[in-house]
Amino acid sequence: MNKQQVPLIAGVIIISFLMIFPFVYTANNYPYVMHIMIAGFFYAILTSSWSMLAGYGGQFSFGHMGFTGIGAYTTALFCHYIYLSPEATNICTEFAVGSQYLIIVNPIGITSSTLVQDCLREALSIWDGSVEVTPMPVWLGIILGIAMGGLFGLLIGLLVLPLRAAYLALFTLGFTEILRAVISSELNITRGQAGLELPKLFENGITIFGRHFDKTDPLPPYFVMLFLLFFCLGVLYWLAQSKFGLFIRALREDQDAAAALGVNTTKYKVMLFVITSMMAAAAGAFFAHYIGIISPNNLMILQMSLVVSMAVIAGIENIFAAAIGAIIIEFTLETLRTSFDVPLLGVEVDMTVWRLVVFGALLMITLRLSRNGIIAPIINYFLRGHVADETVAKRKVSDNSEESA
Amino acid sequence: MINLVVKDLKKNFGGLHVLKGVSFEINGPELIGLIGPNGAGKTTLTNVLDGAIKPNSGTVYLGGNRIDQLQPYEVARHGLGRTFQVTRSFRRMTVLENLMVPALALDQGLSRPEIDDKAMEVLEFLTVEHLRNEYAKSLSGGQQKLLELGRLLMLNPDVIILDEPFAGVHPKLMEIIYKYIERVNNDGTAIILISHQMDSIFSLCKRLLVLNYGDLIADGTPDVVKNDPTVIEAYLGSDDDDEED
Repeated sequence: MNKQQVPLIAGVIIISFLMIFPFVYTANNYPYVMHIMIAGFFYAILTSSWSMLAGYGGQFSFGHMGFTGIGAYTTALFCHYIYLSPEATNICTEFAVGSQYLIIVNPIGITSSTLVQDCLREALSIWDGSVEVTPMPVWLGIILGIAMGGLFGLLIGLLVLPLRAAYLALFTLGFTEILRAVISSELNITRGQAGLELPKLFENGITIFGRHFDKTDPLPPYFVMLFLLFFCLGVLYWLAQSKFGLFIRALREDQDAAAALGVNTTKYKVMLFVITSMMAAAAGAFFAHYIGIISPNNLMILQMSLVVSMAVIAGIENIFAAAIGAIIIEFTLETLRTSFDVPLLGVEVDMTVWRLVVFGALLMITLRLSRNGIIAPIINYFLRGHVADETVAKRKVSDNSEESA
Repeated sequence: MINLVVKDLKKNFGGLHVLKGVSFEINGPELIGLIGPNGAGKTTLTNVLDGAIKPNSGTVYLGGNRIDQLQPYEVARHGLGRTFQVTRSFRRMTVLENLMVPALALDQGLSRPEIDDKAMEVLEFLTVEHLRNEYAKSLSGGQQKLLELGRLLMLNPDVIILDEPFAGVHPKLMEIIYKYIERVNNDGTAIILISHQMDSIFSLCKRLLVLNYGDLIADGTPDVVKNDPTVIEAYLGSDDDDEED
């Protein structure tokens, strides 16, 4: 077997494992493990897209969780406030769309609906069951969330054009913090820290191959997030192999030199922000519908640090390494949420706290000893391990031919 | 027909006048040396020609197209390429990838295999074909200079500005750079060569431009420039200066 084929074979094994895992794993903690896996896929999308942005493109943005929040909140607000009704309420803000009315529910913040009802509830109570309103489809909210992520990615991409390194990091950090502060303070609309509820991905359940899964079953969201991860990795890999990938790496290495060689650095930098922001927004939107609630805490700098750390530990310059690393780290961090006794000392170690210490130490060790991460160098070994030998062999051949000439 | 027209180019940084109305023309595949003491404005002139810096006034036309307000990538696409004083290879990209960047950026209608073939030709000419899959960072300083020159060949420009191509280069590699300059020039590319190595400048160039504190003080053949009293004064200092000392 060719050494260069090893990563491909490992990839096929990992994909096969992830595809059959939900069907073969039958332990009692099945829902919990499935939840960790789904969260792992969520982080894998974030780390791989961030690795494209920062590792390939050299754009050290700390705004990735901000775009995740934009995706999640867009679909949350859309599904929370907009409905279709065959009758006009005459109370809400509403527009006639064909034979239906598009109703925009008035925000009532965190006030209990039993005390102050929103206009739609009021209308429903007046109609007394004679009119049925339809919530907006989840998929439309997700598409809007992705589009909004792309729009903000475009805006941020244009704004950060002249910024590099620490300035870019601080700017994007500021953007996320502003976003979090706005969401936290706009209680009336976003419900602030109380969080905004979203319908589940499959609110009415789903039937696949004759088997019905209800809305709380983890299997459909598992495959939705897994396929979203595959799709994102596919797009990222295709981009990395195309001239887009070549140009953004050139941009990372030396923006001025790339421009002097004809690369439209502005265009590719903005495209990079738009594409990766859309992926972060997609992950945020899907995951929010899976969880069923979104709060500004999801945008916290701690979350961003987690994504950055996952990418750094796994290997920032390889999208697959970043994705695999995210799943492994998320799984490890969650399964370490336990306590155990040290037999001889009679001390109980609370890993809910210590797991983060272990994680921090792993990050520091990686940065100190393997700046390209842990997984990326292994992949690199198989893909590029032969290059040095080849170079030496070619040099010998050219030296010999020179001598004989 | 190559035609670069630089007219009354001025550039100030605050109160510092770095270019004070520089004008010259290049017609055809000339090999021109641009010399001057440190701080004369050579690199600023290069940056203005390449679009990295916008001039305060003056114009630059290449092949009849005004290029002084364009972005660097647009200037490159109009046919002006450059190297940098300090080598700026894409260090964490392979040698081959370094060469692919300009070829793909220009979108010359070549297929990927055709670009590969062209890149291999360039690498063979520069005698570094055995390094094609190595990262640029693992190349020596001289080899990185060759790589930078190779990228320009892939760009296939009408005018090339080489900023200190001989600085810190091993004599063997210097021979290759000499051959490069002569071949590229013979193939019909105009070259502006910036160097402090006067032997190389005088042996290669048929025309010299001399900058001194933002002024173009001489424009002529090496023999004329060598004996120009203004140039001698700029390089060696005037007799008056000696007397003052």
